[in-house]
Amino acid sequence: MAIEEAFVTTVTGRPTDVTLDTRAVRAQEHSRRRRRGGPDSLPLGAALIKWGFLGIGALIMLVPMYIMIISAFKSEADIFANPLGISAESFTPSYLVDALTTSKFNVVAAYGTTLMFVVLVNIFSIALAAPVSYVIARGRARWHVVLLLLFVSGLFIPGQATLIPAIFVLRTLGLMGTIPGFVLFETAHTLPLTIFLFVAYVRTIPREIDEAAAIDGAGKMRAFWSCIFPIMRPAVATVIVLTSIGVWNDFVTPQTILGPGSDLYTVTTGVNAAISQFSTDFTVVFPTLLLAIAPAIVFFIFMQRYIIGGLAAGATKG
Amino acid sequence: MANNTVVKWQRRVPGLLMASPAVVVYLLMFIAPMALAFFLSLTDWNGYSFNFNFVGFKNYISAFDNPRALDAMLFTLGLAVAGTLLVNVLALTVASLISGPGIGNAVVRTVFFYPYIIAALIIGFLWNALLSPNGVVNSLLTSIGLSPVPFLSDPAVAKVSVLVTLVWAGFGVSTVLYIAGLKSIPAEYYEAATVDGAGRGARFRHITLPLLAPVVTVTIVLTLVGFLRTYELVLALSGGGPAGSTETIVFQILNTSFVNGKLGFGAAQSVILLVVTAIFGLGVTLFRRRAEAKVVD
Repeated sequence: MAIEEAFVTTVTGRPTDVTLDTRAVRAQEHSRRRRRGGPDSLPLGAALIKWGFLGIGALIMLVPMYIMIISAFKSEADIFANPLGISAESFTPSYLVDALTTSKFNVVAAYGTTLMFVVLVNIFSIALAAPVSYVIARGRARWHVVLLLLFVSGLFIPGQATLIPAIFVLRTLGLMGTIPGFVLFETAHTLPLTIFLFVAYVRTIPREIDEAAAIDGAGKMRAFWSCIFPIMRPAVATVIVLTSIGVWNDFVTPQTILGPGSDLYTVTTGVNAAISQFSTDFTVVFPTLLLAIAPAIVFFIFMQRYIIGGLAAGATKG
Repeated sequence: MANNTVVKWQRRVPGLLMASPAVVVYLLMFIAPMALAFFLSLTDWNGYSFNFNFVGFKNYISAFDNPRALDAMLFTLGLAVAGTLLVNVLALTVASLISGPGIGNAVVRTVFFYPYIIAALIIGFLWNALLSPNGVVNSLLTSIGLSPVPFLSDPAVAKVSVLVTLVWAGFGVSTVLYIAGLKSIPAEYYEAATVDGAGRGARFRHITLPLLAPVVTVTIVLTLVGFLRTYELVLALSGGGPAGSTETIVFQILNTSFVNGKLGFGAAQSVILLVVTAIFGLGVTLFRRRAEAKVVD
């Protein structure tokens, strides 16, 4: 309970300090840049130590990715003979083409399946979370606080610990091994973070907007969907980004609920089926991994600001 | 009087309607399963038929009796404690170095953070290809005349490999959280302190630490919970081996109990994981809250 209380007190304690809108963050950074002058910059020696340390760290972070990318275009003999380099003679796209066209794992179909799941879970998650967040954020009764605690406590519960009994529930409902069952479970597990971020955001929207809508004759539901929800766009963007990453990368849920027996592979369950930790054929391993990682990296390059901004918003309000 | 109650309830209807779908889904797929976990842990449910027997606390006794299950619990706890310490010390250090503006800081932040968007399973497979006995790192070591390191083939070394890979993959997120915390501290505080003659160390001790305390607590709890549920990375990196030495609690729930139709036993392990998570989470929060209060004084 104490964690949730801490969460809620900080949420309610600083209702105006919302940095969900990344533009606001950047503006803040800008003004800070102007305010901070010379006295804060490091002396040369300290700067050298700092950048030396960070440079080594950055190298450790990037070398595995670099090895993966170049190894996807080399023969096995070349991977062993020259692990850190690639020459024009040894470069070949044929292994990547093989991985794309192998009958063992249809990567393109897996992209499609996973993308479909991402879209479905996003739609259901937002449709469920947005109205309840509005009710909680505007409510003054005790049960509103209880509801928020109930949802936010889910942030600290390992999803895998609820998986086995959730299988029991899904079997009872006849949804085990089905796409609706999978989407239901996955959606429920996005609710804690989504509701947490939505509630914090709605609290920054002035109540005058609700009142104006009410005077114009809109009911509570109408007031929310046509007046408040459009204002929540930055929070919705954050939530979509975080939910999409979570669903795209999830392995446990599709593996157990959809089952390895089904022909429906997501990127993660497909990769798991195509290679295992005993795989020693690196001309299969590296191209397959590159294909699995590529969409996430592209997404990261374009959405980086939103991903980091969204996480940051969660932390400073937590 | 009665009329009054009706009006009051009528006013509540839209709110209840808007709240109930999310509440129903959440109760069905999140809260009910947690309660069910305890019920199922007292049975020998196999995951398929609804014919099962009550076996009392037998599953809990065997969870502590079975050396492999006990080892998995101890390994998970060790991993969580060591990993949380490493991740947070590293993340706080890096965050305080790169929280300022500047393109260099932003680039470094991105480079440290990017594993967050890659599935843990994929990261596990990548590091497996690097660290396995005939992997890239060992062929590098042999090519420069060194002897290969049993990164994944020696039980003790494999445990360290799992820890290091998890830290590699996870400390960037904590760094981003700490940077956000540092940025939320008003620059005026530092300016005022500088005017008053406070040095770098004094400013860190008297401004940064106390104002960052809540973020530190949340980040520690989130990393702890994250490490306690380690699964996919181990599955792909070491397959739980060698000889089961890197199996975690969740690994056993999903790869031993679930696969072998011992879901009653798996439910008992799930309850143990929930209890451990709650104890750790609450423990850290209470401990940190005292620290937070002390710093404020």
